[in-house]
Amino acid sequence: MIAWALLMAQSVAGPAAIARGEQIFAQSCSVGYCHGVAGAAGRGPRLRGRSFAKDYLYNVTRDGIPSSAMPAWKDRLTDTDIRAVVEYVASLATSTDPAPPANPMPPGIGPAAMPGFKGPAAAARGRELFSDPVRENCGVCHAVGGRGIAIGPDLTASKPAEMINAIGATRSLSVMTAKLKTGEEFPALVAGRSGDQVQLYDLTGLPPVLRSLLSKDVVSLVPNASWRHMDFVKDYSRSELEEIVVYLRWAAARR
Amino acid sequence: MTRLLLLCSIAFCISAQENVTRSDWPHYGGQRSAWRYSALDQINRSNVGRLQAVWAFQTGKVEGGFNATPLVVDGVMYVSSSWNRIFAIQADTGTEIWHYFYPNPREIGIIYSPWTRGVAVGAGRVFTGTLDNYVVALDQKTGRELWRVNVEDMRQCGCNITGAPLIVKDKVIVGVTGGDSAHRGYLTAFDVNTGRRAWRFWTIPGPGEKGHETWAGDSWKYGGGATWMTGSYDPELNLLYWGVGNAAADFYGEARKGTNLYTDSIIALDPDTGKLKWFHQEIPHDVWDFDAAFECVLLDAPVNGVERKLLLNVNKGGYTFVMDRTNGEFVSAWPVADNINWIHGVDAKGNLVGRNEPTVGKTSLMCPSIGGGRQWNHGSYSPRTGRFYTTGIEWCEEVTVSPEDPKEGMNFFGAVFRLKPPLHGPAGGHLDAYDPVTGKRFWSYPSKYPLLASQLSTAGDLVFTGDPEGNFFALDAINGNKLWSFPTGSGHRGSSIAYSVNGRQYIATPSGWGSALAGLLPQLWPETESFPPGSTLFVFALPPEER
Repeated sequence: MIAWALLMAQSVAGPAAIARGEQIFAQSCSVGYCHGVAGAAGRGPRLRGRSFAKDYLYNVTRDGIPSSAMPAWKDRLTDTDIRAVVEYVASLATSTDPAPPANPMPPGIGPAAMPGFKGPAAAARGRELFSDPVRENCGVCHAVGGRGIAIGPDLTASKPAEMINAIGATRSLSVMTAKLKTGEEFPALVAGRSGDQVQLYDLTGLPPVLRSLLSKDVVSLVPNASWRHMDFVKDYSRSELEEIVVYLRWAAARR
Repeated sequence: MTRLLLLCSIAFCISAQENVTRSDWPHYGGQRSAWRYSALDQINRSNVGRLQAVWAFQTGKVEGGFNATPLVVDGVMYVSSSWNRIFAIQADTGTEIWHYFYPNPREIGIIYSPWTRGVAVGAGRVFTGTLDNYVVALDQKTGRELWRVNVEDMRQCGCNITGAPLIVKDKVIVGVTGGDSAHRGYLTAFDVNTGRRAWRFWTIPGPGEKGHETWAGDSWKYGGGATWMTGSYDPELNLLYWGVGNAAADFYGEARKGTNLYTDSIIALDPDTGKLKWFHQEIPHDVWDFDAAFECVLLDAPVNGVERKLLLNVNKGGYTFVMDRTNGEFVSAWPVADNINWIHGVDAKGNLVGRNEPTVGKTSLMCPSIGGGRQWNHGSYSPRTGRFYTTGIEWCEEVTVSPEDPKEGMNFFGAVFRLKPPLHGPAGGHLDAYDPVTGKRFWSYPSKYPLLASQLSTAGDLVFTGDPEGNFFALDAINGNKLWSFPTGSGHRGSSIAYSVNGRQYIATPSGWGSALAGLLPQLWPETESFPPGSTLFVFALPPEER
């Protein structure tokens, strides 16, 4: 037990951890406009020559800083690597050398490998297709697995058997026709009501528009018979849609 | 003075009417020709020394500084500050009419935040882009939200909106950041009334489109080309102009061999359809992060004795490109910084000469630095003096380039860098007056620190700007002499404007240190790390008895 603890301590502290942390830092934290070479400040704060509690460093590295440009690294680095970065940043506290190493990023290594999709290979293709940036993708209206905008139904709450039918459905029970005082009509999904206002997603085209209307300006909201979900997935082939369903089934099962 | 009047031929003055501002400051760049020039002359060279502060307005959040250009329409000022806080203010008294604080998510987590550069006003609405990549329309009178639409999932694109939108007819046109992310850039137009997307122009052509062949392999999917600033519009030609940013990865170009269209280009689009009419690429295959994303100044001037419709764009590499705005034909190029080593120059056809690319795996000294020979803060064109007023920065960087693979939504940079002073002479900044076509420099105002606020020129023959130490000041547009200065207490990164209400002229400026660049300055000037942040709008006018 003691030996194990020592081993653990060695893996996340000491010169080896600092060296590992330095490498990860150079690849992931120095880049761009962030913390600069060896923490000498980029557009992010200077870390060199400042002392921080390790607990604090660990928490902000792992979880990010809300309402700031500092991202959470917990899904991008392993816990061991986060601890190595913390050791390295803590080691910078006593750095008074204003000139950090000239070439801290070994050529050819590139940035730290981010853990990719952890699901089965069969679902990986569907996941890519779900949020394919070069077409009108599912994520424009649905959020699954940290990707996409939650406008339409939560697909991981659907019964797997119904998904392929739902994708091809000729009408959707939740889509209404909104008729406004101005005479304008559009297919709408009710997003909420507050006070004298009603929020409707305008589903005329993609992306849906969240419109905030005064209730008195909405003449009627009645079931829509002409809006077809199928019209919005026409960038996908049938077999691609089936691959997306494989991913959605996997995501639903994990829920 | 006679010479100035002679310059003002009848035809020239008529065209000038549409480009100058008067009581209002209706668009981001003043008018959509981006001159940032006011025809008001109540405040002028003879009386500017008696300018007084008349009101100040606190936005309440100082993080990220105050980077905006306020707008004024019919006596009401509309301004946005960091975190998408939007205010409508009585422009003569400073009294708030309404405010709207956009509910940003707790996790922003991308580098282009939390600042914002302004709003657009038109069709009875106030439009803004948000830090989480939405476009929002508010009722101009009440500030009530009318619609909002997501441009793209920010977690996927690593992009958002910090630039001000531009209104053309019934469309609001919005660019995105993301040039330092694994992202494919675009420009999007939305219907002002319904928020429905009208068109999208990808700044990187897709398979089958002309220009796609300028990207090796799959590099087009992640090639940058952000449209992060605000474009211009010529109603007579019905052309929308927008500057496109750097290619990504910023410094590592081995995986994207080719010229990488339309990064670092000026694009001219049909604003009704979003179709490309012409383009001019300033920097083919950029490996220095030298965007051509800054303002497109639309001016008419004689070139070799022939009056031409021109477009002037200063890029981050420190070079000004002047082109014919009817067809994109190259006219001239001239530098705004003295320390430039990434090229030797630009030839008579607009081609870069003597490219000095950083070597992969090595550390190279590049000038100017990634911060630019000029930053995004805008220059100003005065039709009275015929001069273009803009800043230049003298600084270099040691940059170490290494291969990098794109990761969706993440930074895609390909290097680490550290700012360095130039080999000869100190690091610093200057504000200069130029002939816009030849680049002849008429005067230069030196500054210890880079000047990172926009310029405003007026018919009072004044040039206003602010410095990182918090001074807001006026220079004589004719000779660059400093005529007036006021300490606002926090550095300047935004854009000042001129307007009038009930016959009284005002000068307004945001004051508030912050932004990506402000964060870099301590590498060369350690004391700037403790420069105080702020977010205050200061407004100045002459004492009532002076009018």
